[in-house]
Amino acid sequence: MTTTRPQTTPAAAPVHRYPRWRSRQLLLGAAVMLAALALPFVADAYTVSIASTAIVLAVLAMSTQLLTGIAGLPSLGQAAYLGVGAYTAALLATVGGVSNGLVQLAVAAAAGAVAAAVTAPLLLRTRGVLFLMASFAVAELTRTIAAQWSSVTGGDDGLHTPPVTVWPGTPPLRSDGYAYLYLLGCFLILVVVVAVLLRSRLVLALRAAADHEARLAALGYHVNRHLFAGFVCAGALAGAGGALLVAAHGYLSPADLGLDMSAMALLAAAIGLGTMRGAVAGAVLVVAVRDLLGTPTGGHAPALLGLAFLVVAYQPAITDRLATWKRSRQR
Amino acid sequence: MTTAMTTATTAAKTTSMLRLDGVSRRFGGLTALHELSLDLPAGARHALIGPNGAGKSTLLNLIAGTLTPTTGTIIVDGRDVTRLPARLRARHGIGRSFQHPAVFQRLPVAANLALAAMPGRGDIPGPISGPQHADGVAQVLDAVGLTDYNRTPAGQLSYGLQRRLELAMALAQRPRLLLLDEPSAGLDPAQIGQLTTLLTNLGADTTILLVDHHLDLIWSLAQTVTVLHHGHHLATGTPDQVRADPAVRDAYLNPGGHPNATATATATANATANANGTERLAPRTSPGPVLLRVRQLRAGYHGAPVLDKVDLDVHDGEAVAVLGRNGAGKTTLLNTVAGLQPVQTPTRLEWDGRALPTRRPHLPARAGIALVPQGRRIFTGLTVREHLVCALAAHRGADTPSQARTQAWTVDRVLDLLPALAARLPHPAQRLSGGEQQMLALARALLTQPRLLILDEPSEGLAPAVIAQLTQALSGLVADGLAVLVAEQNLTVATALADRIIVLDRGHIAMTAPARDLDQDGPRQHLQALLGVSGPTATAAADRVPADDAAQLTGAAESGLR
Amino acid sequence: MTAYAVTALDGLAFGLALFVVAAGLTLIFGVMDVLNLAHGSLYLAGAYLAYLAYLFSHGSLVGLVVALVVGVVVGVGGGAALAAAVRPLTGYGHLHQALATLGIAYLAADGYTVFGGAPVPVNPPNILAGSLDLGRHGYPVYRLLFIAVAAAVALALHLAVARSRYGVLLRATVADPGMAAATGVNTRRVQTAAMAAGSVLAVTGGVLAAPLIGPAPGADTTVLVLSLIVVVIGGASSIGGAGSITGTLAAALLVGLVQTVGVLAAPTLAPFALFAVLLTVLVSRSRTAVQPA
Repeated sequence: MTTTRPQTTPAAAPVHRYPRWRSRQLLLGAAVMLAALALPFVADAYTVSIASTAIVLAVLAMSTQLLTGIAGLPSLGQAAYLGVGAYTAALLATVGGVSNGLVQLAVAAAAGAVAAAVTAPLLLRTRGVLFLMASFAVAELTRTIAAQWSSVTGGDDGLHTPPVTVWPGTPPLRSDGYAYLYLLGCFLILVVVVAVLLRSRLVLALRAAADHEARLAALGYHVNRHLFAGFVCAGALAGAGGALLVAAHGYLSPADLGLDMSAMALLAAAIGLGTMRGAVAGAVLVVAVRDLLGTPTGGHAPALLGLAFLVVAYQPAITDRLATWKRSRQR
Repeated sequence: MTTAMTTATTAAKTTSMLRLDGVSRRFGGLTALHELSLDLPAGARHALIGPNGAGKSTLLNLIAGTLTPTTGTIIVDGRDVTRLPARLRARHGIGRSFQHPAVFQRLPVAANLALAAMPGRGDIPGPISGPQHADGVAQVLDAVGLTDYNRTPAGQLSYGLQRRLELAMALAQRPRLLLLDEPSAGLDPAQIGQLTTLLTNLGADTTILLVDHHLDLIWSLAQTVTVLHHGHHLATGTPDQVRADPAVRDAYLNPGGHPNATATATATANATANANGTERLAPRTSPGPVLLRVRQLRAGYHGAPVLDKVDLDVHDGEAVAVLGRNGAGKTTLLNTVAGLQPVQTPTRLEWDGRALPTRRPHLPARAGIALVPQGRRIFTGLTVREHLVCALAAHRGADTPSQARTQAWTVDRVLDLLPALAARLPHPAQRLSGGEQQMLALARALLTQPRLLILDEPSEGLAPAVIAQLTQALSGLVADGLAVLVAEQNLTVATALADRIIVLDRGHIAMTAPARDLDQDGPRQHLQALLGVSGPTATAAADRVPADDAAQLTGAAESGLR
Repeated sequence: MTAYAVTALDGLAFGLALFVVAAGLTLIFGVMDVLNLAHGSLYLAGAYLAYLAYLFSHGSLVGLVVALVVGVVVGVGGGAALAAAVRPLTGYGHLHQALATLGIAYLAADGYTVFGGAPVPVNPPNILAGSLDLGRHGYPVYRLLFIAVAAAVALALHLAVARSRYGVLLRATVADPGMAAATGVNTRRVQTAAMAAGSVLAVTGGVLAAPLIGPAPGADTTVLVLSLIVVVIGGASSIGGAGSITGTLAAALLVGLVQTVGVLAAPTLAPFALFAVLLTVLVSRSRTAVQPA
């Protein structure tokens, strides 16, 4: 059967398009930025809270994309590191009394990185679909720990956290609009970090590892050390996303690191076809489908998400078949 | 065996770049490479040749560190690298190419080279380095003529350009020892010319160890040559010495040769004579109607050589041998007919006067086409008996009109033909020897009650005695009137079996001739030119065969006939 | 009997329930090369079937039998539908197959909302609801029966794969689908049958194990992830080989014991224990070396 398979780009390794900053794209970026900035002034509180969720998912989608689209390791478990970051930020705020959002962000990112470094020896022994399975298992186990370790995490009741402050001495961001703008600012910082990362030798080696590990090793590279570094970066990014999650909702429960979160991030990454910008756009799209369309359908958000998964899954196969069909008609 | 090989290399008194000391490699029960010692001086241009399955790629992978040897030590430039991982060997100055071009498909050409040329690459991931490095990449790009493609993802390059890029990546590492695995595979003559020029012009600070099937390239490039044959060292010497070596000629170079020149040929010829004596006393009836008709065949896969406009008829009861260099498209042709590989329009395949059903991959087999594939493709985890059960079960209830015509194959009848299998029935098939696996693959094919038996390199990697046994069994089948389509590098085997030969060259049929015509000089020279094996005609020089080699071969052949 | 012995019996029952579901997952992964993320949904379908059967038959044994029969039908239909759904994705990589089955799982989860948002209790049929006296402790009859039935299923599966003619065709298809087809095996039919059989295992496993792992929103994810852990520990690389059934069984019993005895011994440590098991297994079984291309 293998011999009859159409030779297409493997899904875990979509074609990467190299950024060519043309003026049109710059304009588009500026327009998106302006719209995002204007949102709290024109939209209702509900929409703004959905936008906050979209920002959190966008960070997680970038983390997932770093593994799935760039390093060729399809992850269905990045919510685990989001969760570690989120609980770290929440405990810092409640037990530690640190209300500064940026400190929370940094510590949560560090916690995510540590969690990734601890689990990497396990996960990096797998590749491909086994990595997908193992990452999913790790995330679910992490969620179970969060649910059962109730003396620390509050169990299924969750943790309520106070609003974050931006600077020592400034008042906490109580209104949804300000919290949203704070998230947007943090998101931009993370985008800059990711943009720098994308131009690094590490990411180049990660892309190369996804294409041909043996070749990379034959060039003298320590493949697993690079994958480890990439995995830790992804964990840090997801951990930072966790801090944003806490800042956005002021509440955290084990459900926040469940399969839904990882799956939506993976979906967004798949929509993004291997690019970071695509993953961010995908995250916004996924949240819009679930929360904006889901509400009027009377709570059938899972069905909508399911359809979204199916559309993304079948899109390349359908496109290819249509193209073949068109060619055969032209002949 | 070590006597033959040291002659050439001890002549050079320069420092040693690569020294192999009793290096061998086993895979489970199979010894891919028997203990081998070799010494290459710095700056050497050394080639490894030998039929498929000789252990050439295994040796290259052992030196590069992709595999670790079962025994022996590998010393590169004075350092024992036997236990080093591939990446550290790369840093020690070993560069390599892979059998299939290994480039980073999604990355642009420039990024591929940048990764290869990265200074202080590896340990600490940092920013992409500065303009000096970029200049270096640009220089390499220019040197290999890929400047126009620097932004193209490597996967979108043609096969030939991917090969060139891979070579450029290996060179960008500035290796002291360059290992090349079939660098000419899939290249056209012009590209092979460019490759030869490029390698010839490399400085003496790079030692080259090269595996290739393209003998013209070997003769023009290599100063010394080592010949391997099913994992054994056969000879080492200058190209002239190697070409004159009778054992080498018999194993590899001399298609069709003199039937009595060496032990292998004798064994094979005897086997054929036996088969003829018992079952082919009467001249064979002329072949029946066309059984398989191939028209306008087009097939291929990702960049590798493609078959185009291949027409071929196989008559009922006829045996046809397909010859050609590596990469000529033999396996693709056979796999396409057997349904393992899809065909492209405008191919037409007819079977017994009707269109061959190819909608599902199992339909050609059900129609009566059986395949003994290259590399045997034994089912891992199944016992010998289960292989036979599988073949029988697959055809239970299948509509096979052939069963009415020919005597149906049963397990008993197959075991009569291939008695070696009888004692092995309860054993896991992956633990059988290569010869037994080949017998099993044949048994599996026969139990599908074929009218056409397709064999892809049946003698590959087998000892002479086993080849003789196999040839005998196959000759019997041909004599019984089974149509056979066989691709074979061992020309003695091919001519012993076939009524007719066709020669594939770069995806086209370049020659068709009755097998008996190969006794004449004209067709024979044409064939040798197509197979890329030219050179002085053998004046049999049996005294130059290393004595132990000849004894071993003869002994093996005799035991096989008992 | 001590409390630990009773819990060990629970662990055995739990492990065998996992085995039945995970064996189906292994079968589908081995033969179709598809990671079926909708496998938990199939289990949940069976568990809700058991719930409906109990509800409408008022706890009679006939209800359970009817549920099993319906479960087989649902399993065959669902498996064939899944096979048809993933076949067009052959050659597009595992990620797209995983996304497709995940999508199906979400659609199924949406469908299950008709049963409400809370766990629904499923009791064994009344006739089997009692408990058997084992020394000082009683033990539910149904669980003992379940252990017996599941063990029989394991044995039957092992024999079917290792000994039967169909098992030979199956293993040949797993080992080398192309060569199996060239030997005349209708690999497509084998694959569809394996998908159906794997789905039947999940659904009927759900029917039988409903009193152990009850139907609830999210139970599909729980069962799925535990089955995945079983598959990973049991040796996903040797799937379809003669040893895979025993490997899956051993892994399932291990996970079952960790999840029950472990929880009793140190409630918060149980997930960590599974982590440790996963880590130990993955580290000791070194990753298949990357082949030189």
